[in-house]
Amino acid sequence: MRYILKRLWFYILAFFGALALNFFLPRMMPGNPVQMFLSNLYKSGGVVDNATIAAVEKLFGYDTHTPIILAFFNYVANIFKGNWGVSFTFYPQTVIEATGRGVRWTVFLLGTALILGFIINSLLGILVAWKRGSRLDTNLTVGGQIMANIPSVVIAIVLSITLAFTKIFPTGYAVTPLFFPENIFQYIGDVAYHAFLPVLAVIITGLGGIMGMRANMINQLGEDYIVMGIAKGVPDKKIMFGYGARNALLPVVTSLAMQIGFLLGGSLIVELVFNYPGLGQIMVMAISRRDYPLMEGILLMTTILMLSANFIADISILILDPRTRRQGVDGN
Amino acid sequence: MKKIWNSTIIRFFRNSPKTSIGVALVIIILLLTIGANIFTSIDPTNRFADEYHSSPSHTHLLGTTQLGIDVFAQTLFGGRVSILVGIFAGLITVFLGIIFGISSGYFGGWYDNIITTIINIIMVIPNIVLLLIVAALLDGVSPFLIGIIIGLTSWPWNARVLRAQTMSLRNREFVYSAETLGESKLRILFMEIMPNMLSIISSAFVSTIIYAITACATLEFIGFGDPLSVTWGIMLFNANKSGALTSGAWWELLGPISGIVLFGAGLTLINFSIDEVSNPKLKAQRIMRAYYKVKKIQAKSMKKLSLNNTMGRKSA
Repeated sequence: MRYILKRLWFYILAFFGALALNFFLPRMMPGNPVQMFLSNLYKSGGVVDNATIAAVEKLFGYDTHTPIILAFFNYVANIFKGNWGVSFTFYPQTVIEATGRGVRWTVFLLGTALILGFIINSLLGILVAWKRGSRLDTNLTVGGQIMANIPSVVIAIVLSITLAFTKIFPTGYAVTPLFFPENIFQYIGDVAYHAFLPVLAVIITGLGGIMGMRANMINQLGEDYIVMGIAKGVPDKKIMFGYGARNALLPVVTSLAMQIGFLLGGSLIVELVFNYPGLGQIMVMAISRRDYPLMEGILLMTTILMLSANFIADISILILDPRTRRQGVDGN
Repeated sequence: MKKIWNSTIIRFFRNSPKTSIGVALVIIILLLTIGANIFTSIDPTNRFADEYHSSPSHTHLLGTTQLGIDVFAQTLFGGRVSILVGIFAGLITVFLGIIFGISSGYFGGWYDNIITTIINIIMVIPNIVLLLIVAALLDGVSPFLIGIIIGLTSWPWNARVLRAQTMSLRNREFVYSAETLGESKLRILFMEIMPNMLSIISSAFVSTIIYAITACATLEFIGFGDPLSVTWGIMLFNANKSGALTSGAWWELLGPISGIVLFGAGLTLINFSIDEVSNPKLKAQRIMRAYYKVKKIQAKSMKKLSLNNTMGRKSA
């Protein structure tokens, strides 16, 4: 229990750190969003007088009359009240509505890719550690690592050209437009059909996890209980999965939590190439139109996603490893 | 000739195919990009107004883009900028990572706590999103500014690894003896602790170069680079904007993609061999394979021996 509280405290601290970064970063950069907005307004023939300037400054929170600490506290209060600002590109939708539309699909894409990728990485890692030294081991390890180092942009483009061009898989969108499914199975089938390529791209980007799993398994294979199991005559598969993998899985879950940020970035790019309506598209639209409230909202939203994914990983370690549960009782 | 063939360096390359392929790939690509003037005589910004979007021919080895610019020339000249940006970002990242990681691991205390908190907070925010927002706030950046930004946002990853390693090295006897002798802290840090971590540092440097080239290409693909420069990322960006994906102009994408993939693959293979050299236990693959081969030959000969004996024939 104490473990969960300690992690929760760290996550709250990290969230406040992200809030501070979000607030102070634009103010430290050269160039003022207020001036940019006003120059756009002037160029498009709007009226720019003192009242407009004051109103725009208040809208952005760049009010030059209030001291910056007060502005920061106002900002934090607004965040917790749910007032994340109004976006320009999707005027008059608020930032929460605009990001909420995209978060659903991004969570679906990322969640599926994470779970499938974790299963594939673990299975391949176990296989490769068991047969270490063989040619299969070398090929899979080196091949997996090379593919994981290729940027997600390139993988998405290559997949798009090879598989989508030949019309096997669709080139974009999450569901076929203007398609009204009659029952839920058709809907699920349609979604899966469109999601296949993006999920595959994100999984390929994450193949670097094989090395971690393999290293952990090799460490475990030298332990005494494995030798005892072989001596007792336990079948090979049972030793692999029941004895070795169960212990090797835990550091892999921890490193998965760290890898989630990297995969999130990759999935945003994949969404861009495949025209998937997730956070990636909204982010690029926001950035190209210099929509600062929306950009800050997306940064906060991705940070919240990362923190909750890390939290879920911590809780799953607690569930998977009884030793962490007993920490408070034994007093170590 | 035989003496050269058997010398230690050449034997090292002969024994591990991974290293030789990796080093060969990297050297070939470096030669192609640095000596771009030798391999192609076409200027990468020259537009051939009557030959736009043509497929590969012998005047244009990889065809031309939508604007009529030769793809092969762009790949070679653009590789210079991309690779330089990668190396530059890698240097900044490793430099910052060494300073913060080793110092926080060695000194400990409140300094360590502050740096660890900063590292954890920066690691929690997804890297690409942070890069994008900083690039957006600076309103379109040149490749070297991208390199600096990548360096400033990626050092926590290296710093964490170096800190862990420093903390484990700190309790060894040679560090204690150096402290007792009264050596200055700076000297201990750089002459005693850092040389033991050179393998990790160089492996992290190579990984960061790969990551920096990736991140630079990604940023430029989204549209944040300087559209007037010639790099691999900008080539992908132009290809996307001119619809090469939908119109089937595969040659336009082949140049930058093969550049990124081959260079990344070469650097990854070099990374593997750095790991093997520093941690000889990893050479297990080759040793085990040789071991299995010997056992197989032995088993085969044993079987032949026993077969001949049971059949009553004398062994050959």
